[in-house]
Amino acid sequence: MNELKRYSLTLTVNNETHAVTASPNRTLLEVLREDLHLTGAKESCGEGVCGACTVLVDGQPVRSCLTLAMAMEGKKITTIEGLAQGGQLHPIQAAFVEHHAIQCGFCSPGMILTAYALLRENQNPTEAEIRHAIAGNVCRCTGYAKIVKAIQSLAGEER
Amino acid sequence: MRLPPFEYLEPATVPEALAMLDAYRDKAQIIAGGTEVINRLKLRLISPDCIMNIKKLRELDGIVEQEQSLVIGANVSLKELQDSPLLRDKYKAIAEASLQVAAPPLARMGTIGGNILQNTRCLFYNQSAIVLKGLEVCHKRGGTTCLAVKGGKRCFSVYQGDMAPALIAFDAQCVLEKNGARRTIPLVDLFTGMGTHPLSIENNELLTGIIVPKQNGAYGSTYRKLRVRGSIDYPLASAAALLALGADGTLAVSRLVIGASGPAPRIVAGAPAALSGKLPEDADFAAAAEMAYELSEGVDNLALPGDYRKKMVRVFARRALQGARTDIKGWM
Repeated sequence: MNELKRYSLTLTVNNETHAVTASPNRTLLEVLREDLHLTGAKESCGEGVCGACTVLVDGQPVRSCLTLAMAMEGKKITTIEGLAQGGQLHPIQAAFVEHHAIQCGFCSPGMILTAYALLRENQNPTEAEIRHAIAGNVCRCTGYAKIVKAIQSLAGEER
Repeated sequence: MRLPPFEYLEPATVPEALAMLDAYRDKAQIIAGGTEVINRLKLRLISPDCIMNIKKLRELDGIVEQEQSLVIGANVSLKELQDSPLLRDKYKAIAEASLQVAAPPLARMGTIGGNILQNTRCLFYNQSAIVLKGLEVCHKRGGTTCLAVKGGKRCFSVYQGDMAPALIAFDAQCVLEKNGARRTIPLVDLFTGMGTHPLSIENNELLTGIIVPKQNGAYGSTYRKLRVRGSIDYPLASAAALLALGADGTLAVSRLVIGASGPAPRIVAGAPAALSGKLPEDADFAAAAEMAYELSEGVDNLALPGDYRKKMVRVFARRALQGARTDIKGWM
């Protein structure tokens, strides 16, 4: 026991299918960053508190640092790299830039994906709903005001 | 932080899971949402040979209303509890507890079963291997000393689950299954009260569901918790209350449960005697809250000082009783 047995996995990330070989103790975050070189999701606290590792699994924000890659077969994973299309920033990304909702940028991938999931479910969130949705994403730069403003600026738009 | 090596099991049915548990026993660690277990693995607090993921067991899904009770599958996510109109309306303390667990993404991942079965915590235990290497081996790690209470003869680690106090206020039971057997016990009895091994579940048993008895007549409930950040964090003191009125408008049922105050959620045993047969009034609530204060252990082993947390148990117990009174339908 405890030697690193490896398994073949098929992961669907940003609408592309990837064949990966991984041992069961690899997290989704590790596989995304190290095997698929999708480094948008960040490891920060590594214990599920900060939200920097947020990716979407079947459309819902999930902590990839607490998720085993083995459990992700058959799921649809979206990372920040999957938002921009044809070299054009997604409107949420553009709004974050426009409203200066990005400073150091470390929380931004997780924050933007969380906002994306919120706006897909609720096109006109109130400020309270926005703040509740991003409660699991820590930002140490902006003080959240500009992030909330950026998300509010998209209210009512088709996505 | 990397995870230690382990084998991975993914049973498709409950019988398959029970057979695996029977074979692996202590060597297996069950995982559902992962928000508790993955962290314990990362810190090397546990190093099981294999991880058994039960998230795909469909038998453990669903909130089912029966004639006399509500049956909640162990894999029901905290988010499902938050979103249930039935819970919000008739089991408010349970809905409120689920709403106060961590942050939205973690509530989507975490399950009611996992929340109940979380281990106790202590600042001198929930640390990385490097930090622990520099500390004396405490009771929780199999030693003979307590680092939180000087000369402490037992482990003072704290049970910080939010769901259990609220469920116990409703007198909930839990269903534990193993190969060829099944037992249903009061949820409060799942907790040993011992910090070193806080749960009385056998190593081949699986928590499959929670049974919450229905309440009738005029009743109300609530859950209140103290935490550092409103957006996330474990409770540092908590209280759940259920109050039911008799035909004459006096209290017929008055249950008060405190959490994050010791190694197990505790029923305030004196509360029914202090409250029952009386009108639900603040002066009596204060007397019951005083009992909660006496029952709680204010130990300096979590994010806030122990004596402050102990005082806050009194405050939150009183607020829980007042909140339960407000929740009684037709209460002015």
